[in-house]
Amino acid sequence: MESVFSQLAWLIPLFPLIAFVILIAIGKQGNKWSAYISIGAALLSFVFAFLVLFERLNGTMDAYTWDEFDWLSFGDISIRLGFEINNLNAMMLIVVTLVSLLVNLYSKAYMKDDHRITVFYSYISLFTFSMLGLVISVNLLELYIFWELVGVCSFLLIGFWYEKESAKAAAKKAFIVTRIGDIGLFIAILMLFWYMPNHSLNFTDIHNAFSTNSIPIEAWVITTIAILIFVGAMGKSGQFPLHTWLPDAMEGPTPISALIHAATMVAAGVYLVARTYDIFLASPIAMEVVAYVGGFTAIFAATIAIAQNDFKRILAYSTVSQLGYMIMALGIGAYTAGVFHLFTHAFFKALLFLGAGSVLHALHKQDIREMGGIWKSMKVTTITFAIGALALSGIFPFSGFWSKDAILTEAYHDNLILFIVGITAAFFTAFYMTRLFKIAFLGSNRSSDKPKESSIVMTLPLIVLCILAVIAGFVFTPFNPWLGEWLTGNVVEEHTNWIVMILSTVVAVAGIVLGWIVFGEKSVSQSAKSRNWAYNVLANRYYVDEIYEWTIVRPLRILGLVLNTIDRFIVDGLVKLTANIVLATGRASTRMQNGQVQTYGLVTLIGFIIIIAAMLGRRYF
Amino acid sequence: MLEHLPLLSLITFSPLIGILIILFIPGQKGKAIRWVAIATTILTLILSALLYIDFDNTSSGMQFTEEMKFLEIPLNSELISPPGAPAIDYAYEFNYLMGVDGLSLALSFLTALVCLMAALASVYIKKRWKTFYILFLLLEVGILGVFFAKDLMLFFIFFEITLIPMFFLIGIWGYKDRERAANKFLIYNGVGSAIMLIAILILINTAGFYFDEASNLLRYTSDVGVVFDQLNNPQSLANIEGTIFYLSENMRWFIFIMLLVAFGIKLPIFPFHTWMLRVHTEAPPSIVMIHSGLLLKMGAYGLIRFGVVLFPEQAKEWAFILAILGIINILYGAILAFVQNEFKLILAYSSVSHMGIVLLGIAAFNLAGMQGAVYQLVSHGFISALMFLIVGSIYERTQTTKLDELGGLAKSIPFISGILLIAGMASLGLPGLSGFISEFLTFVGLFDTMPIVTIIGTLGIVLTAVYVLRGVLKMTFGSLPTQYTKMNEARLVEAVPMIALVAFILLLGIYPAVLIEPMQETILSIVTKMGG
Repeated sequence: MESVFSQLAWLIPLFPLIAFVILIAIGKQGNKWSAYISIGAALLSFVFAFLVLFERLNGTMDAYTWDEFDWLSFGDISIRLGFEINNLNAMMLIVVTLVSLLVNLYSKAYMKDDHRITVFYSYISLFTFSMLGLVISVNLLELYIFWELVGVCSFLLIGFWYEKESAKAAAKKAFIVTRIGDIGLFIAILMLFWYMPNHSLNFTDIHNAFSTNSIPIEAWVITTIAILIFVGAMGKSGQFPLHTWLPDAMEGPTPISALIHAATMVAAGVYLVARTYDIFLASPIAMEVVAYVGGFTAIFAATIAIAQNDFKRILAYSTVSQLGYMIMALGIGAYTAGVFHLFTHAFFKALLFLGAGSVLHALHKQDIREMGGIWKSMKVTTITFAIGALALSGIFPFSGFWSKDAILTEAYHDNLILFIVGITAAFFTAFYMTRLFKIAFLGSNRSSDKPKESSIVMTLPLIVLCILAVIAGFVFTPFNPWLGEWLTGNVVEEHTNWIVMILSTVVAVAGIVLGWIVFGEKSVSQSAKSRNWAYNVLANRYYVDEIYEWTIVRPLRILGLVLNTIDRFIVDGLVKLTANIVLATGRASTRMQNGQVQTYGLVTLIGFIIIIAAMLGRRYF
Repeated sequence: MLEHLPLLSLITFSPLIGILIILFIPGQKGKAIRWVAIATTILTLILSALLYIDFDNTSSGMQFTEEMKFLEIPLNSELISPPGAPAIDYAYEFNYLMGVDGLSLALSFLTALVCLMAALASVYIKKRWKTFYILFLLLEVGILGVFFAKDLMLFFIFFEITLIPMFFLIGIWGYKDRERAANKFLIYNGVGSAIMLIAILILINTAGFYFDEASNLLRYTSDVGVVFDQLNNPQSLANIEGTIFYLSENMRWFIFIMLLVAFGIKLPIFPFHTWMLRVHTEAPPSIVMIHSGLLLKMGAYGLIRFGVVLFPEQAKEWAFILAILGIINILYGAILAFVQNEFKLILAYSSVSHMGIVLLGIAAFNLAGMQGAVYQLVSHGFISALMFLIVGSIYERTQTTKLDELGGLAKSIPFISGILLIAGMASLGLPGLSGFISEFLTFVGLFDTMPIVTIIGTLGIVLTAVYVLRGVLKMTFGSLPTQYTKMNEARLVEAVPMIALVAFILLLGIYPAVLIEPMQETILSIVTKMGG
């Protein structure tokens, strides 16, 4: 089959871009129908992405690349933009467009009372455009451009309800913290630019250069480049210690949390590492760093999630933790498993967030202690959420089970410490999801509201995602390694590891059972009294925010104030001094014009001496 | 067709037409005066656009050159000719020489455009329109002349022409502390000019002395082309030890440092920046658009055209010092911007910080870096003009631009707030907007020569995000103080320049070739001459 649709893949991001431009242009007048423009664009993108995927499924392994747009040139170096379609990003395209389409649809009901709904949809369209652009970028600089754009869209949408102080702070934090990571990526680009043959930043060239070790680069340089790229990924994908922005990002509208902060943008870091994987493979140290940061984040965030009470924040920490899994998978060389987990996670986490949105929409509350008994009136939401939670907890046969199992199997063979870390985190995952589900959905209603099931516009996306959360795992199981072969082009031998499979199931079930026993109606009222230090540490998120406040934010402010004083008095003093000298000279020379011949004579004499001195001095100069 | 017209003079002096017309309009007819001024700046812009279209991108030299004998002071030739020999024509010549290359082209187009925007933004000027616009147009003449002058003295004269209108524009139409600001501006820039004049005079008297064999002429000249050739010609008197025209190594250093200080005051380079803080806060916003958008660029332009091109060895030896100065500018400006309460001061320190990138680009001494520096000049010109346009609009509605008195403006004036957000994003170097291209080029260039310095410089990228977001979000996000709930959205005369500037910032960010193409050859030749 010819690559007909792959050649047209540039159309996929174009639709949302057009929607964005239209929506920005019409403004408030379009409040009634702006949703349809955005939904329509997302639908077109989805259809095209599907056609591309379909073509890739039957086609060759070869990537389709086009980079003919001369964008920036200096001398004989020119940076060209274009797009590339390969199996990895064909898969990403389908994930992004599908989740975007469902979120677009869902938002129509969720945001219907907001008078800035057009703005909302324009931002979502801009985000979808940027994210799709990121996915099909042909070189690292182009990826960086879209990388920053998705960051801005994330910022805009977190701060969508700009009147709330908390939203403002969260938006600012998200932008700045991810930007710290971006600097890493930026420096990595600069380094690659000068080290790569022909200054090429194309992914294909990077692949060729690093996979064959054909360029004479010292090992430490490769390691530095890889780690700097990873710093960028850490910022976007909320890896410790740059994870702090992601839970705060929950200030944004919930559909946004599902789209940007669960399924797509935060996975961009994982995607980046996967896209530049050859650089990492060339540096064992970088791989170790990636693996341990990922593993640590997985368990670190999972423990925090246990002690949170905000519905969305629990899910946010869960996202951080799951991203840690993906990163860890890449770090131990389990490329397919990492990408596969990204794929399944996108669906079940989007499902969980949209389910959360459905609850929040009905109750207008975010604190799970004030919920309870929702299942009675919101059956669809409850059932789909439960399935999502089971998928996240890694229960057979839901998708999360297969992807987590794939990671853990690799870890079992590769690095036993990380295997233990991973399986412990899996236990905590099941534990906190049970807590969340039991306190929020079961028991008696503790809120004053009478929740009502959301409309079909909101439940339909839930059902679609729920189906995917169930079946998406079957593309890559120990018995069916199809995805691995399709992604990497290598034949993957089947290795079924029953020990890991049984162990992970036992651990997940144990987490659920223990969670079921520990948490209930009583724990809600008790928790205030029975706080111990461990709980406090977890509830305060290991005090990471406070540490940043005291080690970075405040010192910077103090430094600023000190420098400000210096600038006012010392540096400006210099200016004043100059001004005063000029004025004083002026006054002095005014005084000389006093009509007295003696004064004039004296001035003449001084002038004469200066001229002589200058003439003599010139010889030595 | 255009080759036969003195296009550069037409552009430079076209604002004089406006001045002439305005002179005949009664002072109280403010509206008429304003439209004449706006029409004049449009005319200048059209002429500049013609220049841009007709400009030959493939040539690195001066184009559209104009030459006119202006002044010739005969000197006593007996002093130098041996007795009995035929008297040689011996004189000081000062000619009117204009020319444009890629560097001038970019900045002159920026000037014409920003002046039009500033003319539109001057709608808030409430008194003495006639004088205001006459001075305004005079200022434009000066700036355009600076970028086209091909002669040291002519450059100096145009440079000085900008000072006088500026002094009055700040002193008469500024805010409360305007007179002190105007004085400070004049004195400090005067000092800079004096230093520059000394450097120029030394140059005329050494490298400017040449013997034109073809016509048997002995001349002192301030033609930049001649001075450049003389400095680089080992046979020229300036390079022969023992003659009074000899420029020793020390002397070259002396001139280079003087030029660096003179232009460093204008740029501004730390610690010479405090004078411009007061201009930023006290001058009327439309004038700050010109000041921050264009006048600061004259410093950078002078530094490249005279400091770096005429004294490449000195500049190259000081590349590291230039880079350090750049880093100080970037970080010092950013940290100070972070603690200011007055938004105009944030922007002033932000200018200090952004001009640091120009220094870094120059210090890179390669094509990418130098292109980044020039790109930054144009990009920052647009961004700061846009910023002060918005500041003017907001001040008009709130009577303050202090952060602690503002908040939630996105609710009452969403359009202006949105533009402010775009300007902020451009300022912090968001890809897709012009600031990113210049930062990328600069850092790519500098990384090749000084990787460690580059990495320190990238810290500025984070700090910029910190102070820009702090300022912009404090003003537009959060809750709206009650007294600001009833405000009018941007009027057409405000919205048009805002959208136009945003459009240019976007254009430069998305399709950098519009600026890179015309300037590439020129900058390549500058860099090659420096041996970089």
